[in-house]
Amino acid sequence: MATLDQRRPPVVPAETAFTANSPSLSQLLQRMVALAWRYRWLSLRVLLLNMALIALNLGGLSSAGLGIDVLRHELLPDAPPAAWPGGWMPPSTWSPRATLAFVAFLVLLFAAVTALLKFVAAVASAELSQQMVIRLRADVYDKLQRLSFRFFDAHDSSSLIGRVAADVQAVRSFVDGVVLKVLTVGLTLAVYMAYMLSLHVALTLACVATSPLLWWGAVWFSRRMRPLYLRGGELGDRLIAALVESVQGMAVIKGFGREPEAMARFAAANSALRQQRRGIFWNLSLYQPAMGFLTQINQLVLIGYGGYLVIRGDFPLGAGLFVFANLIHEFAAQVGQIVNIANSIQASLAAAERVFEVLDAPIEIADSPAARPLPRAAGWIRLDSVSFAYHPGRPVLQDVSLEIAPGERIGIIGETGAGKSTLLALIARFYDVDAGAVFVDGCDVRHLRLHDLRRNIGIVFQEPFLFSNTVAANIAFGRPDAPLEEIERAARQAAAHEFISDLPQGYENLVGEHGVNLSGGQRQRLAIARALLLDPPILLLDDATAAVDPETEHEIQSAIQQAQQGRTTVLVSSRVSALEHADRIYVLQRGRIVESGSPRQLWERRGEYWRLARQQLCEDFAIPATEP
Amino acid sequence: MIDSVRHLLVKKAMSSTSSAIPLLTRPRTDEPSEPTQRPLDLGLIGRVWSLTRPYRAVRLWLMVLVIVRSVQLPALTWVMTAVIAGPVARRDVAGVLWGAGGFLALAVSTQVVMHFRQRLALELGEAVVHDLRNAIFAHLQTLTLGYFHRTKVGRIISRMISDIEDVRAGVQEVLFVSLVQLGQMLVAAAAMLWYDAALFLVVLALAPVLWGLNHVFRRVMSTALRAMRESFSRVTATLAESVLGMRVTQGFVRQNENARLFALLVADHSRYNSQVLRIQGLFIPLLELNNHLFIAALLILGGWRALTHGEAAAVGDLISFLLMANLFFAPISVLGNQYHQALTAMAGAERLFRLLDTRPDWLDPPQAIPAPRLSGRVEFRGVTFGYDPEQPVLHDISFTVEPGQCVALVGHTGSGKTSIINLVAKFYLPDRGQILCDGWNLRDLQTDSFHRQLGLVLQQNFLFQGTVADNIRFGRPTATDEELIAVCERLDCWDLIAALPHGLHTPVGERGAQLSLGQRQIVCFARALLADPRLLLLDEATSSIDVDTERRLQQALRVLLRGRTTFVVAHRLSTVRQADMVLVLDHGRIVERGTHRSLLAANGCYARLHARFTQSRHAASVVTDATS
Repeated sequence: MATLDQRRPPVVPAETAFTANSPSLSQLLQRMVALAWRYRWLSLRVLLLNMALIALNLGGLSSAGLGIDVLRHELLPDAPPAAWPGGWMPPSTWSPRATLAFVAFLVLLFAAVTALLKFVAAVASAELSQQMVIRLRADVYDKLQRLSFRFFDAHDSSSLIGRVAADVQAVRSFVDGVVLKVLTVGLTLAVYMAYMLSLHVALTLACVATSPLLWWGAVWFSRRMRPLYLRGGELGDRLIAALVESVQGMAVIKGFGREPEAMARFAAANSALRQQRRGIFWNLSLYQPAMGFLTQINQLVLIGYGGYLVIRGDFPLGAGLFVFANLIHEFAAQVGQIVNIANSIQASLAAAERVFEVLDAPIEIADSPAARPLPRAAGWIRLDSVSFAYHPGRPVLQDVSLEIAPGERIGIIGETGAGKSTLLALIARFYDVDAGAVFVDGCDVRHLRLHDLRRNIGIVFQEPFLFSNTVAANIAFGRPDAPLEEIERAARQAAAHEFISDLPQGYENLVGEHGVNLSGGQRQRLAIARALLLDPPILLLDDATAAVDPETEHEIQSAIQQAQQGRTTVLVSSRVSALEHADRIYVLQRGRIVESGSPRQLWERRGEYWRLARQQLCEDFAIPATEP
Repeated sequence: MIDSVRHLLVKKAMSSTSSAIPLLTRPRTDEPSEPTQRPLDLGLIGRVWSLTRPYRAVRLWLMVLVIVRSVQLPALTWVMTAVIAGPVARRDVAGVLWGAGGFLALAVSTQVVMHFRQRLALELGEAVVHDLRNAIFAHLQTLTLGYFHRTKVGRIISRMISDIEDVRAGVQEVLFVSLVQLGQMLVAAAAMLWYDAALFLVVLALAPVLWGLNHVFRRVMSTALRAMRESFSRVTATLAESVLGMRVTQGFVRQNENARLFALLVADHSRYNSQVLRIQGLFIPLLELNNHLFIAALLILGGWRALTHGEAAAVGDLISFLLMANLFFAPISVLGNQYHQALTAMAGAERLFRLLDTRPDWLDPPQAIPAPRLSGRVEFRGVTFGYDPEQPVLHDISFTVEPGQCVALVGHTGSGKTSIINLVAKFYLPDRGQILCDGWNLRDLQTDSFHRQLGLVLQQNFLFQGTVADNIRFGRPTATDEELIAVCERLDCWDLIAALPHGLHTPVGERGAQLSLGQRQIVCFARALLADPRLLLLDEATSSIDVDTERRLQQALRVLLRGRTTFVVAHRLSTVRQADMVLVLDHGRIVERGTHRSLLAANGCYARLHARFTQSRHAASVVTDATS
């Protein structure tokens, strides 16, 4: 059903309008790097801190190795003396014990500085990532709010929520998880490599020989597993969907006595999942031991070849073999990081595409440069040969003209899909017309300030969306600083004051998703109060009674009648009964106005209105609420 | 001490808490968040353990593998250190080669064991999860509708997703990983004790420091993480409502205010995020610092003693010690993690078992008999009922319906119409009085067999994922496609189904979203007709459907009702007119009963409602017009 608030365009997904030219990979990468460049100073700080940490790590390790060599030289006079870096030697007056204590002190010093710097680095990188996330989230949210209804028609709301909540994080991680990581890992590997090469070239090459294999294995594995995990995720989702469905449809299952069938279906889906996961387990349990074995080969090379070198006296035990043993361990860990980076690149790019889609979406409805202010409208509305289509070639409104004077109560009626709600949306300029023009107080709405135009229009949507907040905050949605008296006045006008006062906490009671369960009629009356608080000269009401039961309809009708006083109102409905107090009714049929006049006149004309009224009153028996 | 640290780290961030932030949406506060951890409890552990009983053989193998592995890991390090300390230090080339060969053999065997240990544990975990899922689903099917009335779907889903995953981690990891790590610690401790008892005591002294630090870290972290998650849920809740309510926001031009509120929320969330990163940045280096502290202490102490005694072998021992000590320390933080994992698993297990232990509100009495083929005579004798027995919604209801009659239930929301339907369906039992079907007390009929003679058409027209055929077949799982078509033809609606893209085999989408309202209703009718129930319960839809479809549905309904006892919650005059008996309900009591005509003639409550409806000026003329 077409409504002002939830238009689901039929058949052709309008998504194409927004994703027609999806950016190429290199464009995307360029933009991401540009994003990183914006944060270059913070990034540089993080990078420098990481470099310092690598240096400190090497310093600490070689100090420990040095200690071993000092000791060994003392105890085994034929063992080579410790090789102090930079040609520095401890003064000959130092006893071996003092030298040893000095080395131990060095180890501790390096460790303490490392710990300190690590903390500083953590804070710096937190600052970087948080600054980016705050900015990105605000940008995307801000942009979302400025996009037209057309954009929201075309996009699933959960996908939009995901863009601000999750995708933004993934985009952010491109900077600290990809760009910075690549630099850090690259530099670390280079430094380790250089350091090891400076100790012994052949041993270094022999020890890191398996690294490419390690890297290749990791890439191969993640590629192989991705479809398996995806499939597993799907099966899991399906299982949960089956659970949710059975809980929500429990009355149907029980009502037909179909519990055994439901259980059998669930058990089959469950087994399918288990079977699929078995494959994943096999792969995992082959891959991880294999990779573990590769790193052990490095250790093996170190023992065999390195041991041989030490025996020949070409290589120190402590500053050489001991340091090496630790370094290859970290080397393998860094190589493993590369795979994570590759995965984050993919995740970031996918997310970036979705985030940029929002940031790049054209703002269709915006103020023209010479837009005129509209302090308070008198309430004239004129449509001049207006045509409009959601999708080119499928007109929803064709050549519609009408004129409404201030204070008039106008009804618009027609069957589902006739274009009633669209007409309302054009008055509030939620969409721009394709041909013709909409005038408010004699001025084309496209030349009015959007803010002013909408401030002059109060809208009640078919689905009375309320925010999870207090009753007062919901009524004061359009003017958050409204005093309580005004909120109450609006509530009284909307025939809502009474039930609000009956709520446990009155106007401070929470409503919406987390609040009390209000009936459809009560929610609708709050929505009317929300519109009335602004005391708008023009009030648009979209089929407020379409999806409620007859007695609720009655509640809403009386609220609407009060609300109409003293303003121009346009009331859309598919029910004749809702429009009986209108000054004039326009009958829409397939996007055209086919009849207009007072209800009496229309009734007597025995045309389309008469046909609708007859059908409805024969088929629909509305039982109004019992009155005390 | 712990609390003061936590206070320092976390409360600081909390003091600038979000309660000061004006909110677009307010998160619910009255719903207690579920605890994430629970102390270890032998009874609970035993029950979790018993879940693995069907897989006794796997469990046994795993224990063996775990023990083997806890020896293998230290053995690997030992071989390496032994080679360095022995043959390398002695300059024994052959010995080095033998050592390397031994290392290789040990490495291969370790990885083979690793493969089985990993795969078997994963499979065991999956098997337990699989069984638990089936058990939960099957148990849910046995619960009465009252349970689903009281319990949120989200809660049930989180049992199935997160709690089950916690238990999985407990089963497949906690025990086995802990055993491996403990074994490794013990072996390493024994080796160190053997090398040098005095040095080992130094190592031992550091262990509690490490454990304590780790413990504080986890506790501070979990508090900070919870605060972060809560702030994130504020962000996402606001985000979700912003997107869903975007049309309202734009209609009321509140973009700037919303952006301001959102920016505050995001900044607030970032503070918590930074907090978590800072805590990590503080504790992780501290934990690593411990390791360096130990190396320095060892250098001084071990070196000092070696120099004092002048033992050459001490250098080798020192290296062995350094490497072994790693094996001793590494498990401490792993064990800490496992401990927390165990606590989490306990909390999950407790909730799961609580669900599995939930008793249905009532069970069939042992003497209940299978329902014979019913003719459909239904009698209420003084029935009083309330979802909460303290607040009855039906008072002393009595009436009799003869086989094949149609009963229309009329009255406003909350008058008890749906409750009567729920009682006839035996979804609930009356608190007082009796409901008889063919003279049998419903209580004494087996619920399953009774439900198989029931047909149900609910207001929401609930459909399950799958095709149209799947959904119709729900009424009788053995039906062939021809029978499905025959049913649709009897309803004279086969053309509507055949017109779908894939006819009977068109997927209906989630909750039937791919079908129009009218099509959904037809499928529900066909489902009920296929079941060929003796009793049909119908809650008429209120939403308006276009006039032609509406007429077809009315005709189909007539076919469906023919020859069976029917209870209808009526919203349409045509339905009420056809009914053999109209029950007018008000506040849980029957205030009038009769046929449409007799009630009009009686000139009571029903007639008043009817008259007030027909009073409106042209409604009157239409009705006279239509009936004349």
